[in-house]
Amino acid sequence: MKSFLQNTWKHRAHVVLALPVFLVLFFIMYVPMAGLVLAFKDYKMNLGIWGSPWCGLKNFEFLITSKSTFITMTRNTLLYYIVFTALGTFLNVTLAIAIDQCIFKKTTKAMQTIMIIPVFISYAAVQFIVYAFISTDTGILNKTLGMNTKFYATASLWPLILTVVKMWNSVGYGSVLYMSVLAGIDTELYEAADIDGANKWQKIWNITLPALIPMITVMLLLSVGSVMRSDTGLFYQVTRNNGALYSTTQVIDSYVLNSILKSSNFGFTAATSFFQSVVGLLLMLLSNGLVRKIAPENALF
Amino acid sequence: MEDKKRKGNKKDLAPSRTEKRGIGQYILAFFLLLYTLFCALPVVLVFISAFSDEMSIQKKGFSFFPEKFSTSGFMAVLRYGKQLLTSYGVTIFITVGGTLLGLLIMSMFAYAISRKEFRLAKFLSVYLLIPMLFNGGQLSGYLIFTNNYHLKNSLWVLILPLCVTTMNVIILRTYIVNSIPAELMEAAKIDGAGEYRTFFQITLPLLKPSLAAVGFMMATAYWNDWQNAMMFIDTKHTNKQPLQLLLIKIQKNIEFLLNNNNVPASAKAAMGGSIPQYSATMATVIVVIGPIMVAYPFFQKYFIKGLTVGSVKG
Repeated sequence: MKSFLQNTWKHRAHVVLALPVFLVLFFIMYVPMAGLVLAFKDYKMNLGIWGSPWCGLKNFEFLITSKSTFITMTRNTLLYYIVFTALGTFLNVTLAIAIDQCIFKKTTKAMQTIMIIPVFISYAAVQFIVYAFISTDTGILNKTLGMNTKFYATASLWPLILTVVKMWNSVGYGSVLYMSVLAGIDTELYEAADIDGANKWQKIWNITLPALIPMITVMLLLSVGSVMRSDTGLFYQVTRNNGALYSTTQVIDSYVLNSILKSSNFGFTAATSFFQSVVGLLLMLLSNGLVRKIAPENALF
Repeated sequence: MEDKKRKGNKKDLAPSRTEKRGIGQYILAFFLLLYTLFCALPVVLVFISAFSDEMSIQKKGFSFFPEKFSTSGFMAVLRYGKQLLTSYGVTIFITVGGTLLGLLIMSMFAYAISRKEFRLAKFLSVYLLIPMLFNGGQLSGYLIFTNNYHLKNSLWVLILPLCVTTMNVIILRTYIVNSIPAELMEAAKIDGAGEYRTFFQITLPLLKPSLAAVGFMMATAYWNDWQNAMMFIDTKHTNKQPLQLLLIKIQKNIEFLLNNNNVPASAKAAMGGSIPQYSATMATVIVVIGPIMVAYPFFQKYFIKGLTVGSVKG
């Protein structure tokens, strides 16, 4: 212990360098963690989080009694997470390999530049673009196909719409990370495979994909912790926060945002948030534990 | 003999990275082109619609080939003149301020926890990691920022929450560990440079590619942040509204004008007869996303090099 303190004193310059981030994280991330106790309190605006009286598990009773809202938004959150992560990872990797394999380097570079653009457009702006495609009277889809589909009133179409928008938004950028791994593969491996007479697919299957596995694992692990969290803008802005679509578009995060903006239902919302944070933590620990068993070198911690 | 052998080798090995232009390559390129179009066309549509005549959109719908072009959409946006300038100012301030502040303190932290001789680094790494596993959520954050820190309607609340992210610190630390030779920093110390000097004069300049990549991602996060603005900035504080909030507001105003028949005729007349609803919103979208589109190509080259994520383990 004494040597630890000595070491810290000796490197006090490092402590000073680390201090600003330490403080920012403390106030921005750690204090709100303590704020989760709100789930067990009866929130009173004038008393604040710490001063409000305890109320036991009453807020969680709301979750159970109003189960359709809670179950619908949890189900939506989970299903969208699964679809986005599975399809997203598959497309990210496919696109990265496709770009890596293509020999027209200059052209692919230009194409890649364009593919990344959507990720930089905020959802507040994306919603106008989506509207241009699917609005009932003026949308390109209805006009060109001669249909009269009321997209903004048909909840069943939205899982598809949101998936397309999400992939459009994220795949180009998502593939960049995998490309950075591909760029690091030793070319001698491919050369050796050539000498052994491997064809293109065999090389992809036996060299390229295995090289990507660690990155895929890390990215999946990182995402598991946010299973209960969603890309709020996608679900709030792109759907125009349309109540008629909630059955397929309301996720936990957009519900919480609505409740904050309307300052209503804080008890229910606090219980939901608590559930969201705890489940996220458990899933993260579980998946990291699994990876540590199977491939310890890829585990996060 | 030696020469010949090497030549032979080259011929043998060359196909591995410079393939023949077979039919497969053209098919692959074709699919990549299709995907590129899928990404690009929606953005192209924004530009075309912004310059389309309002009546042609209302009658024929949005189109890549509008009947008539017009700049009335942009004129409608310019009516927001002063507010547009203020919002640009706010957005630029939080983007530049937040990014610079975040990059500086995050690279300081990344440097400190990358030092092997610093025993507190282990603890700090865990401290950094925990927010990635567990966090308080939006509601708790909202109540604490507003009730306890009294940051409602303050620009700090737009800067601080996006300023430090675990992921970005990890990216910076990975770059320091993998790409900046430790010998260089040791040599600086032997030459008598203190810790601060080593960091600011050796590490920070060499960190540039990573700073560029992380900085650009941070800048877009700030630029595109609508959620914090919506939660923390009241509509009456017009001098603190960033661009994204203006975008949301303009849409709401237009919807209000269209759906509300009680709006005085003079207000409608001021909009020039028909309300340039569609072309105007698209013009606003261009005004909002334009600067990022322009800046992005300059930073792209750093992405692959600068964004490599390493292991989180210390």
